[in-house]
Amino acid sequence: MNVAVTTQPKRKPSFGDWLKTLTFYELLVGMKATLTHLLNYKPITLQYPHEKRLLPDNYRGMLALLRYDDGTEKCVGCDLCEAACPSRVIRVVSGEVPGEPTKRYSKEYYMDMTRCLFCGLCVDACPVDALGMTREFEWAVYDKRQLHLNKQQLLAIGDRSFPVREKRLELQHPNVAFFNVTFKHLPQKEN
Amino acid sequence: MPDQKPETVRLTIDGTTVAVPKGTLVIEAARRVGVMIPHFCYHPKLKPDANCRMCLVEVEKMPKLQTACSTPVAEGMAVRTATTTVDDAHKSVLEFILANHPLDCPVCDQGGKCDLQDFSHQYTPTTSRFTETKRIFQKEYFSPLIETQMNRCVQCLRCVRYCDEIMDVKALAPVGRGTMTEIKHFGPHELDCEFCGGCIQICPVGAITSRLSMYEYRPWMLKRADTICTFCGDGCRITVQTKGNELIEVNSAHGAGRNNGDLCARGFFGFHASSDADRLTHPLIRREGKLVEATWEDALEYVAEQALRLKLAHSADAFGGLITSRCTNEDLYVFQKFMRQVIGTNRIDSSARYGHLNGVQALRRVQGTHRWTIAFEDIVAANALLLVGTNITETSPITGLKVKEAVKKRQASLVTMEALQPAIDTLSNITNLALQHFPTHPAQFGNTVLGLTKAVIEGNLVDATLAQQAPAFVQRLTSALQGISWENLEAVTGQTRTQWTETAKILAGANRLVILVGNGVLRHPGGDATVTNLLDLLILLGKLDKPGCGLGPLAEENNDQGAVEMGAVAEFFPGPAPLDDQPVRDRIATVWREELPRTPGASLTEMLAAANKGSLKALFVVGENPVGTLPAEAQAAEALGKLDLLVCQELFLTETAAMAHVVLPACSYMEKDGTFTNSEGHVQGVRQAINPVGDSRPDWEMFSALSVLMGSPLEYGDAREILKEIRTVIPGYGLLGPTPTPPKVDQAVLSGYLTQGFAGDAATRYAVSQPRQTGDGSFTLMFVQTLFHSGKLSTHSKGLLQLQQEGFLSINPEDAARLDLADGGQVKVSNSRGAITTTVKIRERVPAGLLWFPEHFDGEAKQLAEWTIDPRTQIPYFKLAHVSLAKVS
Amino acid sequence: MPKYEPILLKNMLQPGYTGSLAEYERAGGYQAIRKVLGKVSPADVTAVVMKSGLRGRGGAGFPTGVKWGFLPKDYQGPRYLCCNADESEPGTFKDRQLIERDPHQLLEGMLLACYAIGAASSYIYIRGEFVLGAKILEQAINEARAAGYVGKNIFGSNTTIDIWVHRGAGAYICGEETALLESLEGKRGLPRVKPPFPATHGLYNKPTVVNNVETLANLPHILNRGAEWFASIGSPPKSTGTRVFCVSGHVARPGNYEVPMGITFRELIYEQAGGMRSDKKLKAFIPGGASAPFLTPDHLDVKLDFESVALAGSMLGSGGVTVMEEGTDMVWAALRLMEFFYHESCGKCSPCREGSSWLVQIMRRIVNKRGQLADLETLTDLCKNIAGRTVCAFGDAEVSPILSTLKHWRHEYVAMIHAAEAANLIRPEPVGAKQ
Repeated sequence: MNVAVTTQPKRKPSFGDWLKTLTFYELLVGMKATLTHLLNYKPITLQYPHEKRLLPDNYRGMLALLRYDDGTEKCVGCDLCEAACPSRVIRVVSGEVPGEPTKRYSKEYYMDMTRCLFCGLCVDACPVDALGMTREFEWAVYDKRQLHLNKQQLLAIGDRSFPVREKRLELQHPNVAFFNVTFKHLPQKEN
Repeated sequence: MPDQKPETVRLTIDGTTVAVPKGTLVIEAARRVGVMIPHFCYHPKLKPDANCRMCLVEVEKMPKLQTACSTPVAEGMAVRTATTTVDDAHKSVLEFILANHPLDCPVCDQGGKCDLQDFSHQYTPTTSRFTETKRIFQKEYFSPLIETQMNRCVQCLRCVRYCDEIMDVKALAPVGRGTMTEIKHFGPHELDCEFCGGCIQICPVGAITSRLSMYEYRPWMLKRADTICTFCGDGCRITVQTKGNELIEVNSAHGAGRNNGDLCARGFFGFHASSDADRLTHPLIRREGKLVEATWEDALEYVAEQALRLKLAHSADAFGGLITSRCTNEDLYVFQKFMRQVIGTNRIDSSARYGHLNGVQALRRVQGTHRWTIAFEDIVAANALLLVGTNITETSPITGLKVKEAVKKRQASLVTMEALQPAIDTLSNITNLALQHFPTHPAQFGNTVLGLTKAVIEGNLVDATLAQQAPAFVQRLTSALQGISWENLEAVTGQTRTQWTETAKILAGANRLVILVGNGVLRHPGGDATVTNLLDLLILLGKLDKPGCGLGPLAEENNDQGAVEMGAVAEFFPGPAPLDDQPVRDRIATVWREELPRTPGASLTEMLAAANKGSLKALFVVGENPVGTLPAEAQAAEALGKLDLLVCQELFLTETAAMAHVVLPACSYMEKDGTFTNSEGHVQGVRQAINPVGDSRPDWEMFSALSVLMGSPLEYGDAREILKEIRTVIPGYGLLGPTPTPPKVDQAVLSGYLTQGFAGDAATRYAVSQPRQTGDGSFTLMFVQTLFHSGKLSTHSKGLLQLQQEGFLSINPEDAARLDLADGGQVKVSNSRGAITTTVKIRERVPAGLLWFPEHFDGEAKQLAEWTIDPRTQIPYFKLAHVSLAKVS
Repeated sequence: MPKYEPILLKNMLQPGYTGSLAEYERAGGYQAIRKVLGKVSPADVTAVVMKSGLRGRGGAGFPTGVKWGFLPKDYQGPRYLCCNADESEPGTFKDRQLIERDPHQLLEGMLLACYAIGAASSYIYIRGEFVLGAKILEQAINEARAAGYVGKNIFGSNTTIDIWVHRGAGAYICGEETALLESLEGKRGLPRVKPPFPATHGLYNKPTVVNNVETLANLPHILNRGAEWFASIGSPPKSTGTRVFCVSGHVARPGNYEVPMGITFRELIYEQAGGMRSDKKLKAFIPGGASAPFLTPDHLDVKLDFESVALAGSMLGSGGVTVMEEGTDMVWAALRLMEFFYHESCGKCSPCREGSSWLVQIMRRIVNKRGQLADLETLTDLCKNIAGRTVCAFGDAEVSPILSTLKHWRHEYVAMIHAAEAANLIRPEPVGAKQ
């Protein structure tokens, strides 16, 4: 490759240059931020737990089970969250609601939060919006078994995190009136 | 099976050319080239109905789209399944089907295995244009076992068609018109049918589901194990689905097993017997008169110690063994090997003794095989079928389906000799399909068969070549039957001569004649004579060794045939070979590396007698319950009480187990590997579905452990090793699954029989047997098997208990009216042996003068039964009684 | 004196004619069968009918002789003739009159057809609501049987032909031939999948011919007066003979009119039926029963034969001409017919079962002022998705009122929807559209 090299004629340092060298001007420019902070000190570290950060709107915190406005559980025990969960956090045991023949619910519901990635796939998968991600994150415990949550605990989290509740599904649209309803005239399923 | 090669037709499907047999439907041809056409109403077992319109395809030169499920292929046809028009049709039809669907997949048990769900994912957008109000059906209670949700129904009528075409029950029907069409059952009460579960299996959506497993699972959670059902001799392939270690559901895939995916109530709903809470979970040892829990080590050491002591003190023949034919072949084999090699006695027996041996002995005697010479395929392909004493729907429902298929789909002529009345009922009734039906009293099967043989001989229907080859046989039979007058036969049996003559013509005219013999013959006095006479009938018609012809005795328990073949009976070594068969004895001895005992065997009844006399000191009982099964006259309880050592291997603490010195918890068929041999002689694999309940172990393991403790080890790693050994001993066990060709008639044995073998008892076999005279009342009480139970095992199944919970007396409506008995009323049944009070159920299918009582609940009732022992075959009969009835107010 | 010579209605137009056997014979009845029985071979009878060009009067207009010819020639077992008297098409009432006023004409026709196809048993499947008709038929059959005209060895020959009356249970679909056969067999009246056609696998899986009442009633006249005579009437070569048209609606003289095929609608409505009932103009008419698409005044000069009407975008169908005058609300009219089809959809195949209820719900919504413009597109789309994708022709029939009214009177739908928008009533929102 042929590159014509042209040497630039050396410029003669001016007085200004000389002055800058003499007074360490570049150094001072570089230190400007440091020196400014030295003068008006304001720490950015939050003094947790006395101070808390503002959480973004789409924060994905602790999972919770929700209820309708009449206090009934939303969960129908469909196991879709269990199927969607990539790290096998959730275990659902479904069954017929005692005293309400043909209505399905989760007899037992467990979340092993030690494994949770907080990816939110379970919330997406839920067909009845029974799962929610709260803004709770302070779940450090001494014994990790305490992170194995059952249905009651998850409902309690939901209760304190979502005070405003939805209307029952069948009241939202007449065409879903036949979704998981009870038939009192049928006998209970034998177990 | 017809052998002519079917014509083939070539057609093009989506550019691929395929040659298929003529008459194939486009949808089936497409499947062959890997093109799946969506469908709901099509099912290979059913006649096409083309109602769902989902399978529309483009056929060249046809103006409109055609339904692939109802269009037969034609030469040169060009079918396109992937064009825009077809895709558009699929979308639109699915849109219509989904319009009124409640979309409640999250709570629907079908979710995850639902055709509608799959096709919706494939074809429809996520939102619907349907903004109107959905049609809603009022929910009606269907049954404790079957759950319906008609809002999910796509009205494909598969269930209705299955119930009619395959099961012949006709319990379901579409009711209402247009969009208000729903599937209902008849009558203002909950569903009452055969509960085969076929509708649940065949429903493409979640409209009909099992209430037994409702809401307990999602399809993707289930583990599957293909195994064989234990509830009758048909040997149906079942797929057991488990979640964790829990039994969730049983079904059977279309095309799988001898049953081709069809099941009965026992198979479909009976699986909970294995997970019953009453199962034994620990070994029990009797200490101070009480059975207490013990460790395996203690229990086994105790048994070994006692057994060795008794063997030293007495002889090997102070031991006896009794095993149920519900065990796998491996269990049976190790059991008999243990008894013969470790103990050194031939005194063993199994539940094949109760009747199946009658059939096997007759087959061995006449045709030299111990197995059927026919297979289920021959039943389906038969031109004429003769059922004798089968009550096939309730005893062997799946063999019954083959008969129904032969009659309904292939127009076979059916002749039935049954203690049944042709009546339309909630259960299908095989006699309704019969061309000729002989309503036969249970004691008259032999005489009715005699009438038929007489009609064959007098109608000159005897095979011409036979008359030349075996003149002595034909002459002897002719003269014997000439000695019996028609009047006499008509008087005893109540049949007419014309009917016999007509029937003889039907049977003689059939190219492929199949005779099935059931428990009504095999479990009653004279059983072996009647089976032999039926074989004589086949010989006379020249059909015994014709392809597609033959006689099949139906086994009651799933492995009756295997028990005989494994040699778990007093008179046979494995094979089965008689005890005096020296070559077999030598062959087995080389495999076992030990001489086989030379002492004679002893049957169940002989063992009981010996125990009563005090000469039998120890008894190993595996899954059998003589105290609970046999009537008091058998003196089983007294006999067992005198034993020095009674070891029971059981699932439950039965009456017999409660008397035992040691009770060892055994695995049920759900918990072990092995093989079963069904009625027709197919050896099929049993696979473990769940872990053993509690500390229970497979039966063979216990014998293996005992043998080690007793100093002559029979060690096997697993069931497969045992099967390997069985293969070296019994030639027929080389292959699992359907035997490629059923065994052939042994010509040497047959000619031996025709020259002199028949003569020995010809005089007794060809004489009218007179009914026993008892002063015990005018009704004949039969202890019968019902469709909803099998032995006593199924009475531990919660599903089946919901169908039938207790014993009841079935009675003909005329008899009931005469005695002023109402359905559900109480009645006192009594004879000189005792009396019981039970509930009455009026059923038109019960012939007048007969009463039925389910043997599964015979606790109190069995004391009424008459106890007779066949002196020749040592078979005990106790399924009949003569009683009188009195209304209890 | 009527302009055209009545053939089928000739007897009953005589004053005082009661339809009894004696009167029918006096009017020349039972001559055709006498002439044919044992003298003309069945194949020749079929040939005569084929030559006459007689086409089915039930709706599809299939040539009768050809239909008979489809029966397997060498089949040994029994064959059946079924007379389709399940006349349930709204606007059609010709068979009822033929049965009630002149039953023996039908019976003779049936005897002839049975003789031609070799059937020993035949059935008249009569609509359940025709109580009187069934009674009259039973009476007529009894008379004929007593006279030895029906039953064993009729007219002294060795031919056996029996006729039985079977009453339907009130389902429109049983007018479809295969559904009729199912119903006759005692099953649920659902159409069968074709092929196989009834000609080979019909009643009880035996070769069967199903003919309409009017078709059968024509037979004695064809055999009496010859195929050439019959073929000369109407508009040969394709549409021969006369037809009984049932004119109803806003005309001055509604009723049955027997006219040769090939006259125009204008003549039928304005000359025969006396024109409109008031001074309002004609707005629309259905040319062939409820399942035929609507036609407009522009089509008044269409000839009344199978081909011409088909060319005009409708069908001659069962001959029930329903006339509507100016001022009729066409959306409402379409809804009314749609309600009928919704009620009568048998529920066998999905598009018709679900589609009819969907269509009727949209139509109700539009009429109740809750419609949207998008609904019109949905309606067209659904109609297209139903037509041609069902087991029987019912699917095609049920969409015709909506499609034809949408084609000719779309502006009425639009006006109704605009009115709805003005009223601003709440409309349902689609499921799945999350807020």
